[in-house]
Amino acid sequence: MNWFRGLGRRIWMLFRRKDFDADLDEEMRLHRELREQEEIERGLPAEEARYAAKRRFGNDLALREESRDMWGWGWLDNSIQDVRYGLRMLARNPGVTGVMIATLAIAIGATTAIFSVVYGVLLRSLPYPRPDRLVSISEVAADGHLMGFTDPNFADLRAANHTLDGMALAKSWPTTVSGAAGPARLGVAPVSADFFRVMEVAPILGRGFSRDEMQEGGTPAALVSYGYWRQHLGSSTDLSSFKLKAEDHTFSVVGVLPPGFSYPAHTELWVPAELFGAQSPSRTSHNWSAAVARLRGGVSLTQARSDLSVLAHRLHQQYKPEIDMTDASVTPLRAALTASIRPALLILLAAVGFLLLVGCANVANLLLARAVERERELAVRAALGAGRGRLVRQFLAESLLLSLAGGGLGVLLALGGVDGLLALAPPNLPRLEEVSVNLAVLGFALGIAVLVAVSLATATALRATAVDPQAGLGEGSRGASGSLASNRLARILAGGQMAVTLVLLAGAGLLGRSLLRVLSVDPGFRTSNILTMEIEVPASQPSSSIAAAIEAIKDTKPANFMSSLFDRLRALPGVEEVGGVSDVPLAEEGDCPDGKFLLLDRQPELDLTKPEDSARLDRLWSTAPGGEADYCVASEGYFKALAIPLLHGRLFDERDTANASHAAVISQSLARNTWPNQDPLGHTIEFGNMDGDMRLLTVVGVVGDVHDRSLEKPPDPIVYVDYRQRLRGERDFTVVVRGDVPPQVMLASARRIIHDLAPDVAPRFQTFQDVFSASLSTRRFNLTLVGSFAVSALLLAAVGIYGVMAYWVGRRTREFGIRMALGALPRNVLKHVLGHSLRTMAVGMLVGLGGAFVLTRTMESLLFGVAASDPLTFAGVALTLGAVAMLATYIPAHRATKVDPLVALRYE
Amino acid sequence: MHQNEIPPGTLYLLILKALARSGELHGYEIATWIEQVSDEVLQVEEGSLYPALQRMLVKGWVTAKWGVTAGNRRARYYHLTPLGRKQLEVEVSQFERVVAAITRAIQTA
Repeated sequence: MNWFRGLGRRIWMLFRRKDFDADLDEEMRLHRELREQEEIERGLPAEEARYAAKRRFGNDLALREESRDMWGWGWLDNSIQDVRYGLRMLARNPGVTGVMIATLAIAIGATTAIFSVVYGVLLRSLPYPRPDRLVSISEVAADGHLMGFTDPNFADLRAANHTLDGMALAKSWPTTVSGAAGPARLGVAPVSADFFRVMEVAPILGRGFSRDEMQEGGTPAALVSYGYWRQHLGSSTDLSSFKLKAEDHTFSVVGVLPPGFSYPAHTELWVPAELFGAQSPSRTSHNWSAAVARLRGGVSLTQARSDLSVLAHRLHQQYKPEIDMTDASVTPLRAALTASIRPALLILLAAVGFLLLVGCANVANLLLARAVERERELAVRAALGAGRGRLVRQFLAESLLLSLAGGGLGVLLALGGVDGLLALAPPNLPRLEEVSVNLAVLGFALGIAVLVAVSLATATALRATAVDPQAGLGEGSRGASGSLASNRLARILAGGQMAVTLVLLAGAGLLGRSLLRVLSVDPGFRTSNILTMEIEVPASQPSSSIAAAIEAIKDTKPANFMSSLFDRLRALPGVEEVGGVSDVPLAEEGDCPDGKFLLLDRQPELDLTKPEDSARLDRLWSTAPGGEADYCVASEGYFKALAIPLLHGRLFDERDTANASHAAVISQSLARNTWPNQDPLGHTIEFGNMDGDMRLLTVVGVVGDVHDRSLEKPPDPIVYVDYRQRLRGERDFTVVVRGDVPPQVMLASARRIIHDLAPDVAPRFQTFQDVFSASLSTRRFNLTLVGSFAVSALLLAAVGIYGVMAYWVGRRTREFGIRMALGALPRNVLKHVLGHSLRTMAVGMLVGLGGAFVLTRTMESLLFGVAASDPLTFAGVALTLGAVAMLATYIPAHRATKVDPLVALRYE
Repeated sequence: MHQNEIPPGTLYLLILKALARSGELHGYEIATWIEQVSDEVLQVEEGSLYPALQRMLVKGWVTAKWGVTAGNRRARYYHLTPLGRKQLEVEVSQFERVVAAITRAIQTA
């Protein structure tokens, strides 16, 4: 109680500081004046009376300070003093201060950026209720890899287990959804009946699925994500009017899920799984990509694991060989979602932690170098009675100022860095949408900054204040012997940094050269001024049954639709070529399917409805020669738009009608390998396993090879077929439009045309240039990551060498003075300093080269067109590092040559 | 007349006593009161009254308010709180114990 009141008074006093000082001043002045008056009355002359009063009163400055101290704010005064003094010291040498702040900014920034990714992806809990009780379960194959669930295995495990409180299945894929504000391509997830109960997620608007909706043949109903509701349904609270068309069903929207719910990843629409037909009785059809469950109350993860494992073994014994599950795995959901990225992130965190350590060591060296210059001042202060604690506090104030400035800048760097990382990251990394620089991350950065400050201050202060004041003040006391050991430590540190930096630089150099090599590959097609538009081709009717699929072969609607689309696009101003292909080269979404074809020269057509033809085909499959190729549906405009050269024969044209003999255009490598030294034109092949159409294909032309899967892989052999003859409805098809105007200009007109022809089709536009550069995104991401580490390490190494050498030169000012007094030329001194530094650096670089030689082998799979021990790269990075290091040495070395012998000698 | 520094630790006692006797005093009055009642044997380094008074304010032994002196000057007057009165008793009994102990020590031949 008392203590509280005391605290209250103190705080009150803190805010009335000015009044307090004025009051005290007035009070003391009154006292002195009254005393002075009394002395005058006693008969002293005025002057003497004033002195007497002053003498009797005492040192009023000290008394005033003492009075303030009584309120317990002495430490605050001292701290303010320390901070002011620290600011003055830092401002006195802005260059070094800037370097130190920049070092800390890089180190803290990099650490914060990587930590924000680690926090968002690995540490943050999932945005669902009681997330730590959620587990992901999978089947385990004999070789140990995880598989999705089959219907019967899942049902058996669910019925028999004693440790899980509800199990649910889900899967998700992107598909076209129309019916709201325009068609869109979204993730749609069929989920089993228990799904929302297991996740413990309820709609924030509307209702969940009813019993009727969750059975085969029930009324199609869908729950939508919060984001979809906001963007496409206009946040309307009346859901009854919304009907969404997707996957041959028309869904009523019955509810909206809470914001942040998106499991399985990227899902916007959840629908009852029962709509998609009966369960499969097979124990090898792993139809479900995701299975979640909740641990029963009081059950541990281990218990659940052994429970399911025993059950899975039992099922395996019971049903083998019709079952490929040998075990079941139970993983916390969060770990399961991030398993693919966890090791990489932890390695990054370790690497960045190392960077932080190196940065701190460097700043400590710089601070120490400066402390050496202040040795005398410190000795004076110690002699005047400043306690060691007070001196340590002084250093603490300075390093806090430094690390907070560095930390603040570092957070800014991290903000930019995280944005950059996210923009560059390949899209398949999990939970990236949860990464942000948030309060937890800022707290982390602050914590790091304070930790850095405390360790810097302690390290510097302990080494700097270890000086005995008497020795420090004594004449000619600059014996460097006491710090020889610590200087050796600093040199080992600098050398070590050189080594690590060289390894990182070599890695970055190799990746950079690889990227250049990849970019110089001729892809076999042009990429500029081409707009791509991916659509799902409309069909006459959905092909949900096998009979309908056979019927679909004869459906002429897809080809006709495409022809009219081509005509409309070609009529646009500025458009030069229009074409289409099932998948453009290098597309993220995938490439043309590949399979086995048969060479069937001079064979009559097969009609599979006749049993004898069917039997003949089976025989041919085992006897006839064939080969492997990609199967692409294309139009002649595709080759022209992408400038894929026609080498021989002809492209597709109007002659290739649905009923004419089916034409094939093949790629150059296929022609060379299948018909060496022959003319491939006129030969026939059978490629019916790709789309169920058994009609033979006759080769009519040969075109140039393209790098379709990746610039880094050799071109695949390709069989192109004519869209007029082989285009199927409900498949994705990509239209390419080349014009003499930028693709963005053509986009609006193309969208309008699609909307006119087929309002339900959701086109996905990209420039071909973007497709091309997206295919390099993983490579660019790796290079950026390793490159930024390498550049940071290079900067830090430069600072480190500078710090060590500045300290070394500072210690030897007198020695250089003597040398020069004895006739050494500046040139000699320079050589001496550079030579000294060179020895440290050479050792570090040798170790680094050795390390790089060993370590770059591990990244061989990431390289393209360069050897892991590419001598040019190694020489290049070694030279770069050497040059930077020499530059960092040159500044203190140059200072050594400027030592005036007279001043240096007198100074001591 | 030879003047003695007051024994350490007794400054609070003297201030508390002064205020208890006279009710309300400003700093200079406290100093002169101590001199007068001790026949000028005890003399405080006058300035040191003020840190002591501040500490007593923090402790809640005294309160202060601004008033006007007989000579029509603004001055800060201090007076005892009930807590200060209790503290005076504590300080007095402590002082007496110390004096008694020292007296015993001196008289032991």
